[in-house]
Amino acid sequence: MPDGAPPRTYHHRGDEAGRRRDADQARVLPLFDAHGGLRPGAVRAIQAETGVPAATVHGVGSFYHLIARPDVEARVCEGLSCRMRGADRVLAGLRAEGRAVEGCACLGQCDRAPAVLWAGAEAGHGFEIGTGAEPGSVAAPHLTPSSPDLAIDLAAPDDPTWPALEAARHLGPAGVRVELRAARLRGRGGAGFPAHLKWDAVAAAPPGPRVVVCNADEGEPGTFKDREVLVRRPHRLLEGLAIAAHAVGADRIVIYLRGEFEGPRRALEAAVAQARGAGHLDGLSVEIALGHGAYICGEETALLEALEGRRGMPRHKPPFPTEAGLFGRPTLINNVESLACVPAIVQRGGAWFAGLGRGEASGTKLFSVSGDVARPGVYELPLGVTFGEVLEAAGGVAGGRALGAFSPGGASSGLLPPDAVDVVMDFGPLAERGSMLGSAGVVVLDETRDLLDAALTQARFFRAESCGQCAPCRIGTQVLVRLLERARDGEATAADRDTLERVAWEMDAGSICGLGMAAPLPALHLVRYFPDALRTRGPAEGG
Amino acid sequence: MKDDGRGETPRTLTVTLDGQPVAAAPGETVLTVARRAGVDIPTLCHDDRLAPTGACRMCLVESSDSRRMVPACRHPVSDGLAVQTDTPDVQRHRRALLALYLADQPGAPTPGSDLERLARRYGVEPGVPAVEAPRAGRPDDANRFIAFRADRCILCARCTRYCDAVAGVAAITLANRGAHTTIATAGDAGLLDTSCELCGGCVDTCPAGALVERSAEAAIDAGAPLEVVRSTCNYCGVGCQIDLHVDRVANAVVRVTSPPPGTTTNDGNLCVKGRFAFGFIDHPDRLTAPLVRGADGALHATDWDTALGRAAELLTGVSARYGPDALGFVSSSRCTNEENYLVQKLARAGFGTNNVHQCAAT
Repeated sequence: MPDGAPPRTYHHRGDEAGRRRDADQARVLPLFDAHGGLRPGAVRAIQAETGVPAATVHGVGSFYHLIARPDVEARVCEGLSCRMRGADRVLAGLRAEGRAVEGCACLGQCDRAPAVLWAGAEAGHGFEIGTGAEPGSVAAPHLTPSSPDLAIDLAAPDDPTWPALEAARHLGPAGVRVELRAARLRGRGGAGFPAHLKWDAVAAAPPGPRVVVCNADEGEPGTFKDREVLVRRPHRLLEGLAIAAHAVGADRIVIYLRGEFEGPRRALEAAVAQARGAGHLDGLSVEIALGHGAYICGEETALLEALEGRRGMPRHKPPFPTEAGLFGRPTLINNVESLACVPAIVQRGGAWFAGLGRGEASGTKLFSVSGDVARPGVYELPLGVTFGEVLEAAGGVAGGRALGAFSPGGASSGLLPPDAVDVVMDFGPLAERGSMLGSAGVVVLDETRDLLDAALTQARFFRAESCGQCAPCRIGTQVLVRLLERARDGEATAADRDTLERVAWEMDAGSICGLGMAAPLPALHLVRYFPDALRTRGPAEGG
Repeated sequence: MKDDGRGETPRTLTVTLDGQPVAAAPGETVLTVARRAGVDIPTLCHDDRLAPTGACRMCLVESSDSRRMVPACRHPVSDGLAVQTDTPDVQRHRRALLALYLADQPGAPTPGSDLERLARRYGVEPGVPAVEAPRAGRPDDANRFIAFRADRCILCARCTRYCDAVAGVAAITLANRGAHTTIATAGDAGLLDTSCELCGGCVDTCPAGALVERSAEAAIDAGAPLEVVRSTCNYCGVGCQIDLHVDRVANAVVRVTSPPPGTTTNDGNLCVKGRFAFGFIDHPDRLTAPLVRGADGALHATDWDTALGRAAELLTGVSARYGPDALGFVSSSRCTNEENYLVQKLARAGFGTNNVHQCAAT
């Protein structure tokens, strides 16, 4: 920068110059679907249709894996649970057959490991999920049996009559928000932010259009509970969305659905059509926008960028989406599970919901449990149960083996040791352990598992899914993988452990969003909780 | 913040910078206020001409309104805000961040680049192993002026934002993601096959030596001392100021840059001619003396008095024999406004004809 240059005020033209005045960037991603992905000619055609410059169109499309590589026939999940069930072998086998195949981030099918996503006839969607190398062979997950003491109750039949919406209209917007506050519902997407604060903030925004966005971009490795809500209780979710719109004064609902979720899409579309027919959605616009293969778009501001047709790079906060969200409008963004809790809260009262939790915790929570357990599935348990109780619900460690480690809340929560079996599965207690409840995607590893390999799996996931915007995350994730690989190959130096901690500190302190902050946890936990996993690998313990 | 319309929003805020109270205006950023106060905060992705993105993380400082460090370039000031720019955590962050940037370079950072200067100034945390990011370049790009060395790119996006927001061209973009993120064109075409106008503003704003003039690549990488000579571009009448970078050993100009934004009429910008078309300076065919055609039909070098005298003689001769409208005057787009004025004066007042044109007029 020019030191000593006189101060000068620039009129920032933002990044709007160079595009046609009526450029419609929000259409770029849907148009990529229409053109079959990033293929020759697609960029020019989309430029002509939208007025967005060709380079910008290319930059957007190349960010999203499902668009950038349209000719991949099968994507093999390289999530922890799938790798533990032989994903590497499946990938190698399909490669040997000469198929266009690649590894991919967790597909949210951990109960069906090893999962493979097969391309459908339509580019961009129409996918089919399979276990192993055969498409279409998947089993239903184990579920908690239906009970009146469950807020979501996945095993109960979905109710298309929407009785809670009627109750919400009686309560009025402010009354609904009072119940939500009493429920002490903390966001189920991973951050655990008190839901009523967001609702109140959007409701208090200056007059004008507001939006409710449902974050259905479930992608945290080890998590598949939103998938089951979408498939089994789409009406309960939509009813929660309609109540949210009523409570914050919004007339527009956008559901950002993970693009790989073909079954959930069909269930959701059918429910939307049914609800429209029944008049439940009168006065509301409801759109389903499909994701295109980017974990980071589960981060709420990256999700907004995707909805606006941009590269899914998180925004800086402030401003928060409640002030300036989708196209600058006050926007309420909630996770699928959070919204699916709302009908029961409205119908049975916030106090009832709060009482479902144990101790300080409030409500019930969906736990996705996979890995080395007897019965992988989605279990709805009181928030505040111990990890041991979650494990028991899933039938304990498979094959009668001992517990080796567990990941309590997705890859972002790292790995905890067996002596943490009594840890309370709630936001606070797990944070005290340097972990997090996150999305409560629980992965269990038995005593025979290679924990260095498990940490490497998670570290590689973050490297692959970093958006690339900021250096601490983009470069830090690469450095961590390198350090873990050196340990695996017996090439670690005495100083590597210090280096790892320094890089982890910088990723936590310097990253823009939570991905970069969480990414070092698997490696850090290896150092902190499983020194043997590194020690057996050579001279690393010298540091 | 609600403005009640009675003007109670304070016009002047007080911010504490490293313990010193400093006045600020609402809407200003921490970086703006710090620069005015002479407090140095390092930046990489910042360019005064571009909307701040906070992406490079170099300018993180501690701020009393945030648990985490905030990017000074886009963090708004508020009354009573206390900012610390030089705490142990800020220093540690700078060293660790620079260590990551350097681990992602193919070797030592480009001499003279912002990245190299900051690494020298703040130091780097030791021990970070090198990584090899798979950033794609455009090795087959046939343009003769701009080289993109992808392995040196730090992805600050100054080039793409300049191209978009200042040049209004949008020829380049951030593409792919994660470690694969790079600067690309639509379909990875060479710059000549895009909307690129080869203005070179991307080269000018690059803080890492990833975008450089092909003419200067070797000199830049060698860290060769270049002497900077201020001059005026003579391609048109705008009067852009240019800095000639002269390799005194080779006695040659190797690159042309604009003075910093905000200092001259061209405001940090140049066009393709001003920045890249300097080959005429020591070209053997360059005219260094006026030429007059002799009786032998060939052109002969002469002095200005002789040349101008010959031109005047022939022009007045044509005018006298056939009338002034037998003459026509065309001035060059390289003339200044004043020179163009004088040409039409010569035509209209001197010879009495309106047959006058300027080659850039249509």
